Amino acid sequence: MAPGEKIKAKIKKNLPVTGPQAPTIKELMRWYCLNTNTHGCRRIVVSRGRLRRLLWIGFTLTAVALILWQCALLVFSFYTVSVSIKVHFRKLDFPAVTICNINPYKYSAVRNLLADLEQETREALKSLYGFPESRKRREAESWSSVLEGMQPRFSHRIPLLIFDQYEKGKARDFFTGRKRKVDGRIIHKASNVMHIESKQVVGFQLCSNDTSDCATYTFSSGINAIQEWYKLHYMNIMAQVPLEKKINMSYSAEELLVTCFFDGVSCDARNFTLFHHPMHGNCYTFNNRENETILSTSMGGSEYGLQVILYINEEEYNPFLVSSTGAKVIIHRQDEYPFVEDVGTEIETAMVTSIGMHLTESFKLSEPYSQCTEDGSDVPIRNIYNAAYSLQICLHSCFQTKMVEKCGCAQYSQPLPPAANYCNYQQHPNWMYCYYQLHRAFVQEELGCQSVCKEACSFKEWTLTTSLAQWPSVVSEKWLLPVLTWDQGRQINKKLNKTDLAKLLIFYKDLNQRSIMESPANSIEMLLSNFGGQLGLWMSCSVVCVIEIIEVFFIDFFSIIARRQWQKAKEWWARKQAPPCPEAPRSPQGQDNPALDIDNDLPTFNSALHLPPALGTQVPGTPPPKYNTLRLERAFSNQLTDTQILDEL
Amino acid sequence: MLLHINPALFKLLHGYPPWIMPTDGNLGDKNVQMGKPGHREGATMHVKKYLLKCLHRLQKGPGYTYKELLVWYCDNTNTHGPKRIICEGPKKKAVWFLLTLLFTALVCWQWGIFIRTYLSWEVSVSLSVGFKTMDFPAVTICNASPFKYSKVKHLLKDLDELMEAVLERILAPELSHANATRTLNSSIWNHTPLVLIDERNPHHPVVFDLFGDNHNGLTNSSASEKICNAHGCKMAMRLCSLNGTQCTFRNFTSATQAVTEWYSLQATNIFAQVPQQELVEMSYPGEQMILACLFGAEPCNYRNFTSIFYPHYGNCYIFNWGMTEKALPSANPGTEFGLKLILDIGQEDYVPFLASTAGVRLMLHEQRSYPFIRDEGIYAMSGTETSIGVLVDKLQRMGEPYSPCTVNGSEVPVQNFYSDYNTTYSIQACLRSCFQDHMIRSCKCGHYLYPLPRGEKYCNNRDFPDWAHCYSDLQMSVAQRETCIGMCKESCNDTQYKMTISMADWPSEASEDWIFHVLSQERDQSTNITLSRKGIVKLNIYFQEFNYRTIEESAANNLVWLLSNLGGQFGFWMGGSVLCLIEFGEIIIDFVWITIIKLVALAKSLRQRRAQASYSGPPPTVAELVEAHTNFGFQPDTAPRSPNTGPYPSEQALPIPGTPPPNYDSLRLQPLDVIESDSEGDAI
Repeated sequence: MAPGEKIKAKIKKNLPVTGPQAPTIKELMRWYCLNTNTHGCRRIVVSRGRLRRLLWIGFTLTAVALILWQCALLVFSFYTVSVSIKVHFRKLDFPAVTICNINPYKYSAVRNLLADLEQETREALKSLYGFPESRKRREAESWSSVLEGMQPRFSHRIPLLIFDQYEKGKARDFFTGRKRKVDGRIIHKASNVMHIESKQVVGFQLCSNDTSDCATYTFSSGINAIQEWYKLHYMNIMAQVPLEKKINMSYSAEELLVTCFFDGVSCDARNFTLFHHPMHGNCYTFNNRENETILSTSMGGSEYGLQVILYINEEEYNPFLVSSTGAKVIIHRQDEYPFVEDVGTEIETAMVTSIGMHLTESFKLSEPYSQCTEDGSDVPIRNIYNAAYSLQICLHSCFQTKMVEKCGCAQYSQPLPPAANYCNYQQHPNWMYCYYQLHRAFVQEELGCQSVCKEACSFKEWTLTTSLAQWPSVVSEKWLLPVLTWDQGRQINKKLNKTDLAKLLIFYKDLNQRSIMESPANSIEMLLSNFGGQLGLWMSCSVVCVIEIIEVFFIDFFSIIARRQWQKAKEWWARKQAPPCPEAPRSPQGQDNPALDIDNDLPTFNSALHLPPALGTQVPGTPPPKYNTLRLERAFSNQLTDTQILDEL
Repeated sequence: MLLHINPALFKLLHGYPPWIMPTDGNLGDKNVQMGKPGHREGATMHVKKYLLKCLHRLQKGPGYTYKELLVWYCDNTNTHGPKRIICEGPKKKAVWFLLTLLFTALVCWQWGIFIRTYLSWEVSVSLSVGFKTMDFPAVTICNASPFKYSKVKHLLKDLDELMEAVLERILAPELSHANATRTLNSSIWNHTPLVLIDERNPHHPVVFDLFGDNHNGLTNSSASEKICNAHGCKMAMRLCSLNGTQCTFRNFTSATQAVTEWYSLQATNIFAQVPQQELVEMSYPGEQMILACLFGAEPCNYRNFTSIFYPHYGNCYIFNWGMTEKALPSANPGTEFGLKLILDIGQEDYVPFLASTAGVRLMLHEQRSYPFIRDEGIYAMSGTETSIGVLVDKLQRMGEPYSPCTVNGSEVPVQNFYSDYNTTYSIQACLRSCFQDHMIRSCKCGHYLYPLPRGEKYCNNRDFPDWAHCYSDLQMSVAQRETCIGMCKESCNDTQYKMTISMADWPSEASEDWIFHVLSQERDQSTNITLSRKGIVKLNIYFQEFNYRTIEESAANNLVWLLSNLGGQFGFWMGGSVLCLIEFGEIIIDFVWITIIKLVALAKSLRQRRAQASYSGPPPTVAELVEAHTNFGFQPDTAPRSPNTGPYPSEQALPIPGTPPPNYDSLRLQPLDVIESDSEGDAI
């Protein structure tokens, strides 16, 4: 024999491959039930009487069902979070503080740009409401006389109209006085929210290129209509002005900030960085320098925070664009974009506004726990802002991108996407109509921005407690105003009034930082131990039992069936092969010669195959070899109960 | 293999009956006694016998060899894996062995994770929001000006004159020159003068005194001052230490700040020399400040307020502090059931250079806690009605080892100077005490704004001439603050009052007249109006519809959690329980026993071999030993000695010749044989 053969034979001898030892499925089941570690199964076999046996079968199956149900519940609730709230008292980073004057540009500087528009607005007001010129802007009178002969540019493009409630579909153009027919849709701004009772409604009409498709926007009050109308034209004009010029027209940091004090140390305009906002002009951000370290506070209280006195020159205010006086302040993260118009806190003049902050940090778990994004990289919207991702940025970017796609130009109050221009009606005559349509679609969530944009997973939030007090007090006013005037004297030549000034205090009330953190409520270990608990509770089962079940029900079970089928097929084949002489059926591999079987690949398997027919009547002369049966029984008898041993004996 | 061990075992068992196994001296003695039962008799004998039997039984393990033990363990344990190892075929045996090892490793790993999680002392929080009857917060009210100017005028006279001269000097230098003859208190000025620093030449900054003629100016002062109004000049405060050699300049970018800071520093110096009782009298009395008070439907007046002197704001009044009487509860939300106050701040009598902001300083805080109103207070404006809706935001923490916090501050290494007020611990109090402590150590005097420990004095220019320099250094020092933050611990119970503030004009124009008349009549008994819109403040403080939000910590992983997870893991992988662990421990003990038995047998056999050197008999053959081993004949008590002595000729060589092994010894052999024959059958 070759050495290879020898080893093979040795392996075969020492490690015989055996099939299931039970000859029938019933036997297998019986063996399994008696020997398994799970409770319940044994009861089925051991119980006497059909009723009890049925009951035990029922119990066992119920337990299995319960286990499956509970485990399914555990799996489905795997991705839940638990929230923990922690408070730390520590040195805190001071947030970036952006301060803007509500009025974007000094009116004296932009007046020549807006002269025509102002003139026409005044005309409109005069003809709509018929009130005389205000005393303050007396000089405008002379302007209007100069411009008398000129053709109105602005109202020609977008006419302001008065609608009479009784004459449907008719409107009066305020400038020409003619009645004109209004076709197309009339969109009442906010009319779905409240019912308009007034007789006269003011609005304007926006048309697309070919003027056939028009939409008319009406407002309940002339104030809104005129402001909205003014703003549209204003954006048009400002969109054509280059950025440097706009920055020069707005306020300088030295002008805006009279004094500055942070954490007991003086600061000045150099500590502020310029941030130009299209609608608010020059804004200044404190504590936002990239190359400098972020300032932090190690004490709570107003004296350790930021104290600034702002100079707000009401005389330079644009009368139509802004109707309130003061400044806006936004407290935000250093890498966050300050959305001045959306989230600003307004500051009144002749007052001290004291803003106490509490810091709350929130961390959410991203996929698969919740729909949030860590840094916005998985959101299919390009961030056109030079700032870290936030939901607001995503929405604005989405709208701006859509605007460039649909209207061919970008909206003025948001940053420019690459290779796009701001809208103006020299190049894009009908952009306003397009913008209004798009804006409406955006608000009604038709653009899909709201569904695409996800919230950011972690954010810092400063809860503000704002309170006001009178400043300067009656007695200190006398000395304070001259000193402040002296301080500001480098920029302006004017005696300061207290309504030109606003004091702002921003400070941490205390250095407690609250962090709200989500953490996974379940881990794999927890899940497994919960499985273990369930399996153990209902059936005292473990993974070993599961393996047993797989072994018995999926391997042995099918091999027994296969064995039986194989046997039947063979029988059938043998009958077919030798129909004339049934007397000598199994001559090639008869069971009387067990040596043949042993040589086969599956020796005991085959020999076991022949066992039932061997016990039968078909084989007359040769009973199955004793050791064969013995072997089967022996292998089995080790685990069998005494009843079977009795049978054997 | 088993057969090789058995002879030695037999010898061992005969030579040394198992009760001497612990190699104890006492037991050895007993052996001697036992060996001769006939010589001594008595009741003690029986007791000893009984005890020995007990011991013997305890020592009875499931087998005498490692293999037996393992087989027995695997067959009988309740954990699911090992059983499979012994009752399957060789291939499956291997598979099951590996599986069992794998599962054991998994269980150990997972247990490690769970125990580590448990020892990380995590907390889970529960949040509850709602309305319940709660103690109304303590309300502290201060006037923004610490003193009535009319009463402190005599103290501040010199300083005010100096201040006015400074302002004149700044605003119109050439004009004030003519006025310079005015007598000024130069000692105040010379101590900490304001200077102008001309920084137009950045390499040679020129410093000159604001009153160049009082001080020996470096340059022609009046000339340079004129130029200095332009850009590039800044104001600074010169702070010098005692001998005037070491000077630092505290720079300001605006004159407003410079004069304000300078004035408040000087005023601090002045007030620090006045005893507190006098200061209290100079401040606003309660009956003048609190004009009307209504809590729910109950009227109240200034007597319901506790007065406290707060150096920065003078007299402050605390409503519902809960120090002497029980705290007042509020059972309903809304303005009608809250606190309504009308206050007069008397703005005309403000100290002009000290208080530039006019209004009421107000703070809500917990009962029995000290109000740090300068840090956490809010303003209420005169001429308005300020409505404050309150939500109590409470955070309750577990304390060590779950979160680093302190319950009453006893373990914080900072002496709490605020304990004189009998208030509870707070981190603010700790930080301020810490600062004051540093101040006393480095400047030898306490700062006026913070409470003093016993035996120390407040800083003033007369007694401590260089305190301002020292204080300024300390205040700017980041290291000092960080040490304090490092030392102070936060309190475990943290209560914040979230306020919703809204304002409206008050009194309205229509009601103005009669309201002022009534209030004037009540306060001053005068028929004329003595109050004005600028001095009057109305406050409404009430609970919101949801008045509490409580965040409570609880241990995320308690012992029950740990045990149930350990059980779950063990059950999941192996179907085991604590009893299985005990079983395992038992087996280990048996293992140790067997090892000891073997070692003793080895030692015995070595000694025996030495003793056997003189013995000249043939050694027992293997066959004889096997026969003895499998001979069941000697097992019952009725066949006592003959089978025992027969197959063991070596017994004669034993040191104790006359003592046959006791009966139970042979009994012990029985289970061994039974098991062995079984295992032999398996092996063949």
